Amino acid sequence: MSGRPVGSLDAVRLTYGIVVRQLVTRGRLIALVIVGAAVAVVAGAIGAADEIDDPLEAGVRVIADLGFTALVSIVALVFASAALGDAREDGTLVYLWLRPMHRWPIAVGAWGAAATVSLPLTVVPLAVASSLIDGGGSLTGATVLATVVGVVAYAAIFVLAGLLFKNSIVWGLGYILIWEGIVAAFGDLAARLAIRGYTRSIITAITDVDLELGDLSLAAGIAVPLVAAALALALASRRLAKMDVA
Amino acid sequence: MAGWAPPAAADLPPPAAPATVADAMVEVEHVTKSFGDVVAVSDVTFSVGPGVTALLGPNGAGKSTLFRLMCGLTAPTKGTVRVLGADARSDREVRGRIGLAPQQDALFDRLTASRFVELAGRTHGVADPTAASHRALDHVALSADETKPLGAYSKGMRQRVKLAAALVNEPDVLILDEPLTGLDPVQRNRMIRLFHELGDDGICLLVSSHVLDEVARLGSRVLVIAQGRLAATGDYRDLRNLMDDRPHRIRVTTDSPRPLAAALVDRGLVDGVSVSAAALVVDTTDVDGFGRQIAVIARELGARLTEVEPTDDDLESVFRYLVERR
Repeated sequence: MSGRPVGSLDAVRLTYGIVVRQLVTRGRLIALVIVGAAVAVVAGAIGAADEIDDPLEAGVRVIADLGFTALVSIVALVFASAALGDAREDGTLVYLWLRPMHRWPIAVGAWGAAATVSLPLTVVPLAVASSLIDGGGSLTGATVLATVVGVVAYAAIFVLAGLLFKNSIVWGLGYILIWEGIVAAFGDLAARLAIRGYTRSIITAITDVDLELGDLSLAAGIAVPLVAAALALALASRRLAKMDVA
Repeated sequence: MAGWAPPAAADLPPPAAPATVADAMVEVEHVTKSFGDVVAVSDVTFSVGPGVTALLGPNGAGKSTLFRLMCGLTAPTKGTVRVLGADARSDREVRGRIGLAPQQDALFDRLTASRFVELAGRTHGVADPTAASHRALDHVALSADETKPLGAYSKGMRQRVKLAAALVNEPDVLILDEPLTGLDPVQRNRMIRLFHELGDDGICLLVSSHVLDEVARLGSRVLVIAQGRLAATGDYRDLRNLMDDRPHRIRVTTDSPRPLAAALVDRGLVDGVSVSAAALVVDTTDVDGFGRQIAVIARELGARLTEVEPTDDDLESVFRYLVERR
C-alpha cells in the first residue's frame, strides 16, 4: 500500500515539527540570547541614568532603534532564512518535497516554526527592556505588539528569501541594513516597503512619541505587515512548486 | 522480467529504437535537461516496467539528473517524464507512490533512525507510521530501538536509513541512487537480495550504479547512460560480451619494440600498433590470444618484456566506446 495524500493541516503540523527541531541549535540560541540580553542591559542602563527627562520617549527610541533594528529583524532572519533555506542547501528538502502534500503547508509550517522560535527570543528581552526603562504599561504593550507583528512579517519574508537565494543571510542583512536602515529614510515608497516603518508606527501610535518612519496609523501598522507576510508565504509556496530540488 | 522486452544482443549499442515496454510504470520521452550551457541529459527515451532495472553510467553521466526528473524534483527542458501515468512534479497522489533514496548523504541528523523513518511514513500519509517504520528498518537490518542520532551513524548505516525511509510507504516505484555505496559486503548482499524480492513483488525498482560488477548482481536489465545520453539498453550479459569483444588497447614495455611489433602484426594478433623508443601500444580484439602469445613471441625474439598493461580496461572506456559507436 502506497502513501496517501496528506491533509493540509497535518502537513503544516508535520513540517512545523521537523523544521523546529532542525532550527533550534545550541549555537544559535546562545548567540541570540546574548544579543537579546545586551539590548535589555542597554535599556536598563538608560533607565538608570539620571539625565533622562522623559523615560517613555527614551524607552521608545531604544526599543525602536535597537530592539526592532538589531534584535527583531536579525533573530527572524537567522531562523526564517534557515527554515527551508538550510534544507534546500543540504539536500534534506527532498524529504518534505517529494511527499503527497501541497506546497503551501510546507511554507506555512516552516514560517510557523521560525516565528515560534523567534518570538520568545525577541518578545521577552524587549518586554524586559521596556520595563527596565520604566516607560509605563503602554510602552511594554506597544513593544510586545510591534515585536509580534515584526516577527510575523520578517519570518515570512525571510522564509521566502531562504528559498530564493543561496546566501539568504547576506541578502537578508542587505535588506535590513541597507534598505531598511538607509534607503527607507530617503523616500516614501522605500519606507512603505520596510517592515521597520510599520513596527515603529505601532509603537508611535500607542505611545504618542514621534519617530521617524513611524507616521502610519495603528491599523496600517498591524495590517500591512500581515498582508506582506501572507504575500511572502504565497510566493514561497509558488517557489516551492516551481523550484529545482537537489 | 515482467514488462521488459530485452533486445537481441546485437541491439545493445546503440539503442536501435526507443527502449519502451508495454506495461510501463516510468516513461521518459525525448527528455533533455540543461543547466545553463551544460546539457546534463540529452534526448533520452525509455520506459521501465515492474522489476529491477539498473541505470549504469560513470559519475557525472546524468543518472542522478534522470532520477530527479522522474521524481519531479526538476523539470525537463524538453520532453516529458511520466511516473504511473502522471507528472510527479504536479501530481500529489503520485508522489505518495514513489520512494526515493537520493544520492546525497543529508538526513535530519538529530533524529534517531526510527523517528526519521516514522516521519517519512507520516509525511507519506501512511496509516500506521510507527509499525511501517519498524518494518522498513527491519528490511535494512537496522534496529528500531537504536537511540543514537543519525549524525553519529556511519556512511553505510545512513545508506540503509535512506533506503528504509524510501520503503516506508511501500512504493510502487522505488528509485535508489547509488544505494550500495558505503555498504560492507554482507550488507551489500542483503540489499541486493532485498532488491530482487521487491522486484519480484512487482515494484518498479530503478537502481543506479557506476560499478559494473554491482550491476551484474542487480539483474539483467540495464540502461547505460554516458555523457547524458542513453548509450545502450538491454541485457547485462550482452554488455559484458560487448566489453570482451570491443577493441582493447594494451601497452607493452620492452627493449625491442620494433621487432616485437612486426611479429605481432605478422601473426594477426593486433589490429593496430604504434611504436616508441621503449614501448609499443597495440589495439586488439583478441585479448586472450594476445595474452597467450606475447610472452612466447618475446622469447623467440630474445626481447625482454618489462610490462604488459591494458590502458583502457575500465568502465569509463567502455562507456566511451558505446558513445562513440552511436
